[in-house]
Amino acid sequence: MLMTLATLATLALQQQTDTTIPVRAGARLEVSNFGGDITVKTWSRSAVRITADYSSRDRIAIEATDQVVSVKSQGRRGPSRVVEYDITVPAWMALALSGVYTDISVDGAQGEVTAETVEGAVKVSGGAGTVSLKSVQGDVTLEKAHGRIDLSSVNESITATAVSGDIAAETVNGDITLTQIESANTEANTINGDITYDGTIQDGGRYRFSTHDGDLRVSVPERANVAVSVSTFNGDFNPCFPVQLTGKSKHRFSFTIGAGSARLELESFGGDIKICRPGMLTKDKHKDHDEDHEEN
Amino acid sequence: MKDQWTDRLSEYVDGELAASERTALEAHLTACAGCRTTLDALRRVVARAQALDDRPPTADLWPAIAQQIGVVRRAVRGRPARRRFSFTVPQLAAASVALALLSGSAAWLIMRRGMVAPPAVGATDTAPLLVNASASASDRRYATQVADIERALERGRGQLDTVTVRIIEKNLGIIDRAIRDARSALTADPGNAYLNLHLAQEMRRKLELLRQAATLAGARS
Repeated sequence: MLMTLATLATLALQQQTDTTIPVRAGARLEVSNFGGDITVKTWSRSAVRITADYSSRDRIAIEATDQVVSVKSQGRRGPSRVVEYDITVPAWMALALSGVYTDISVDGAQGEVTAETVEGAVKVSGGAGTVSLKSVQGDVTLEKAHGRIDLSSVNESITATAVSGDIAAETVNGDITLTQIESANTEANTINGDITYDGTIQDGGRYRFSTHDGDLRVSVPERANVAVSVSTFNGDFNPCFPVQLTGKSKHRFSFTIGAGSARLELESFGGDIKICRPGMLTKDKHKDHDEDHEEN
Repeated sequence: MKDQWTDRLSEYVDGELAASERTALEAHLTACAGCRTTLDALRRVVARAQALDDRPPTADLWPAIAQQIGVVRRAVRGRPARRRFSFTVPQLAAASVALALLSGSAAWLIMRRGMVAPPAVGATDTAPLLVNASASASDRRYATQVADIERALERGRGQLDTVTVRIIEKNLGIIDRAIRDARSALTADPGNAYLNLHLAQEMRRKLELLRQAATLAGARS
């Protein structure tokens, strides 16, 4: 039986760390940073290679057990300064990455991914099972993942491409763009931004898209079976194909396509709502809040 | 948009209808868009309430970041058993807001006491949801909760980066504008279910962002 490996490597007064640690199947990587990027790539080896560039005033603490490889940066007094991590892991390894002034990038993951930062972008390619990506001030981008997907920003946009599973995406001031999606359960909402959904509408599925001050663009495949509910206060509804309204009130109406087993809710307080066939969605923003972002 | 089945939707969600009634209601649902919409709203509220039960505010916001900057993760009390939630149609929007208030209260308790808050949903026993989203009592409670968290945030403001503060203030402003828009629209059309739910959603969003900001500030103080 492999003995539990428990090492604490405190590497102080160095400007670079480069160490490789063998790991067993099922182990997870936890990286906690303050300032500086975390970049994770994958390889076929059952080992984690950690390279870090940092100030001589900081130190890197690496702890490894059978279950967890933990990497933390610490300053002499309080948080570390800038530590740039470049880490290579087995593709199956679960990842829990966090930082404050940190861009997080992951490429090739095949396990769970949790990434959280305050001021920085999160960009992940791959991931399975629970994939949770969060930033306050930074774009959140995900591609080629499947599972339970949770994407969150505050002041920037969210983009998911070629993703399957249950998807939740939420921001306050940014667009949400979901393309090449295979999902039976998707919810996306923003306040000041557009939402685009180009993906499947599965029988029995539930889809809800809501914005306050932006447009919605949603694709509905020709053979979909979906009951659609549309709510808008100041906007227009523009279907690219004929629909037969079955319920209509002042700001809310509905219609059914096919057997109507799926539910699709579209809500925009002040923007337009457009449904088209897959691949026909076009980007014609009514409001350009990019300028607003540039002010920051 | 109320018919004989509207008040039975809660029982339907809880699985309390007899088989024959369930079959009849499901048949009715295929033809009644309003009932489907109400049912969806009801399910969302229930789902949100259950999510609160399973995920107390101690653990849902930036725990890794808090740990990184020196805050010890607090122990999480064992999960209580799931509760069921029954609402009548007029309670729907109010329920969303009330749940948001409870979340905000929990966050505030954590910050004040440095301890685990009681399960948010359990508080429904003493915090009735029989309020209207736009009713003054509900508004006062909401305003109180917002003010509490804002005070906590103000105390920790110096711990946050000025850019972060600016971003949070900017986005709180965006949410406030959305809330004002929804309130204004509701004044003209108070019975509009969409507007009620929209207002509740944006009020919840404000509490969540405040909670997130307060957690960050508290973690760095």
